[in-house]
Amino acid sequence: MYRYDQIDQTLVNERVSQFRDQTRRFLAGELSEDEFRPLRLRNGLYIQRHAPMLRVSIPYGLLSSAQLHMLAHIARTYDRDYGHFTTRQNIQFNWPQLERVPDILADLASVQMHAIQTSGNCIRNITADHLAGVAPDEITDPRPYCEIIRQWAALHPEFSYLPRKFKIAVTASPADRAAVEIHDVGVRIRRGANSEIGFEILAGGGLGRTPIIGKVIRPFLPEADLLAYLEAILRVYNRHGRRDNIHKARIKILLRALGVEEFTRQVEQEFEVNREFAPRLAAQEIERMRGFFAPPPYQELEDGAPEIGSVSSGHPGYDAWLRYNTRRHKMAGYRVVIVSLKKHGEAPGDMTAGQMDALARLADRVSFGMLRATHDQNLVLADVPQSRLPEVWRELDALGLATANIGTLTDMICCPGLDFCSLANAGSIDVAKQIHARFDDLDYLYDLGPIEIKMSGCMNACGHHHIGHIGILGVDKHGKEWYQITIGGSSTGPAALGEVIGPSVPKHQVADTIALLLEVYARERHGEDERFVDTVRRVGIEPFQERVYETNHSPA
Amino acid sequence: MRQIIRRREIVADDARYPGEEASPQLRLVQPAADFIAAKLAGQAPDASAAILIGPTDEVESLAEQLPLLGLIVIAFPKIGEGRGFSQARLLRQRYGYAGELRARGAIKRDQLFFLARCGFDSFDLDPSEDLVAALAAFDVFSVAYQDGSDALVHVRRRAAPA
Repeated sequence: MYRYDQIDQTLVNERVSQFRDQTRRFLAGELSEDEFRPLRLRNGLYIQRHAPMLRVSIPYGLLSSAQLHMLAHIARTYDRDYGHFTTRQNIQFNWPQLERVPDILADLASVQMHAIQTSGNCIRNITADHLAGVAPDEITDPRPYCEIIRQWAALHPEFSYLPRKFKIAVTASPADRAAVEIHDVGVRIRRGANSEIGFEILAGGGLGRTPIIGKVIRPFLPEADLLAYLEAILRVYNRHGRRDNIHKARIKILLRALGVEEFTRQVEQEFEVNREFAPRLAAQEIERMRGFFAPPPYQELEDGAPEIGSVSSGHPGYDAWLRYNTRRHKMAGYRVVIVSLKKHGEAPGDMTAGQMDALARLADRVSFGMLRATHDQNLVLADVPQSRLPEVWRELDALGLATANIGTLTDMICCPGLDFCSLANAGSIDVAKQIHARFDDLDYLYDLGPIEIKMSGCMNACGHHHIGHIGILGVDKHGKEWYQITIGGSSTGPAALGEVIGPSVPKHQVADTIALLLEVYARERHGEDERFVDTVRRVGIEPFQERVYETNHSPA
Repeated sequence: MRQIIRRREIVADDARYPGEEASPQLRLVQPAADFIAAKLAGQAPDASAAILIGPTDEVESLAEQLPLLGLIVIAFPKIGEGRGFSQARLLRQRYGYAGELRARGAIKRDQLFFLARCGFDSFDLDPSEDLVAALAAFDVFSVAYQDGSDALVHVRRRAAPA
């Protein structure tokens, strides 16, 4: 992973000092709430329903065991013994005291972490494929480019007061596990005609109240021009993005207003005119960065025979976990393990300090001391020797982190919702628990196959509901919590926005409504390999609507 | 008497804006649009004129006038306004403006480091700001990842020599 040098460490330390002084001035009345807000947001600090919420950056989801131990320490010392992993591969603490946040940031700095630009109208955490570096299907490791972008974006003097937040995602795999099509800028690493590295650049994607799939504005960008091109996009956006209406301030609205041709023309023109001033990536800098992400010292192993999961171990729990919670690794003899933060009855993405410490120790023993956070709110041990899988399963199972539901209906994405977030219209966590309770039979979930449920407590869409195979959006109806259901969304292959099936349903009927959708799926499904979302695409939403809104089962 | 920061010193403001009382020590800062209109009408501008740019003004239209200008004031009318950072960058980098470049409005010491790095060299901060305390904010960071107009910080060189 990337290791800070003196410059990086100095920058983060100075940021902590700056924020300590800003907090002092706010508490002394020298800064108004309006003045302090953009400053605290740029350090990840929200003022929430019960207490401040601090969002800590995990760049492109990569985390060392020492860093996870520190997150456990923070949860234990400053919070209520747990943290919440988010859809941007970050972690949030829901109960810190404002006065102590500078101390938390200083603790983070001691393990090369920070909360810089995890909120506010600036360039946010760069996200990437959580299988970067180990996926058999990737073109090259995307993380060196992510780190290059992270550094360029950190405290950028020109782009720290944008019209609105700005999210960049990078993928180097055709499977796109980073959902680049729903980001302000998506970067797809490609190989050119002479197999040289370059980038396909997408812009204008995003969810929120106006969900839009990003458009390709540059099919192939030479490697050296990555930052120059990003700078051109950001400058066009910073100058011309709307600032009069917070709901129309994202780059997707500018792109839609100008049209993709005109937007692209402006970016390309800025890129050309600015060439002499823009940063160009030197080959040796890319090489230097690549060195930080060199493969760990793998042993020479062979894949086990027979192939993993092809025969029963005699222990059904282990077999199911192997099948659902592990993935193929590019190295023979190794396996990727997904650590499920979706235990039934728990808030999706939550993890206790004790679990963090134990998992960090496990990572030291079996996965080179490294972990990743995924955008669907799980963690990953990326480099586990196959021979140690039974041991890893037993330990994770004892920790409550081995629920064999990855990719199934109960591997839900879920925002903190009304319980914590001051923006939310409705609760998410208790709906997740309702769904967990209703669909607690793992064999039934396995029969259903891969289904992604994504849930947001308001239209800001932190839970990515638009791109859920089943999306659930909390709405406020006369002070009561109701839920709008969409089906047919997808984050990839290609990305698609779900369609609303009809009027929203009251809270106690969400799981029942999902059961009806699944009933129609079971009836219409063509063979075991047809996923729920494929069936919706093939037959349309009408059969689902009919079933849900039959008069003898009117949710309203 | 209003005070500003100019090249890291607190000095008396030498500018007045439309609607403010005239005084022999103060030079009028006129809106950029008025300046261009007068120019187009054939009026010869004062030597080293002073103009005010708002967030939606396009700096491209001023490119040819820059040699005539001695002071450009860029307005930051609201907290969080960020267009002025790009305007300053363009004036300094692309169009080679070498005169005084001032940021004015809803800005405090917390923005000074970024403003200076984008090329501003004078600052008319929010009236509530303590200017003496604000002076230290230029040095709040000693390092940066991006090139800037100031030569004050250690910038990591990632670029190949051109």
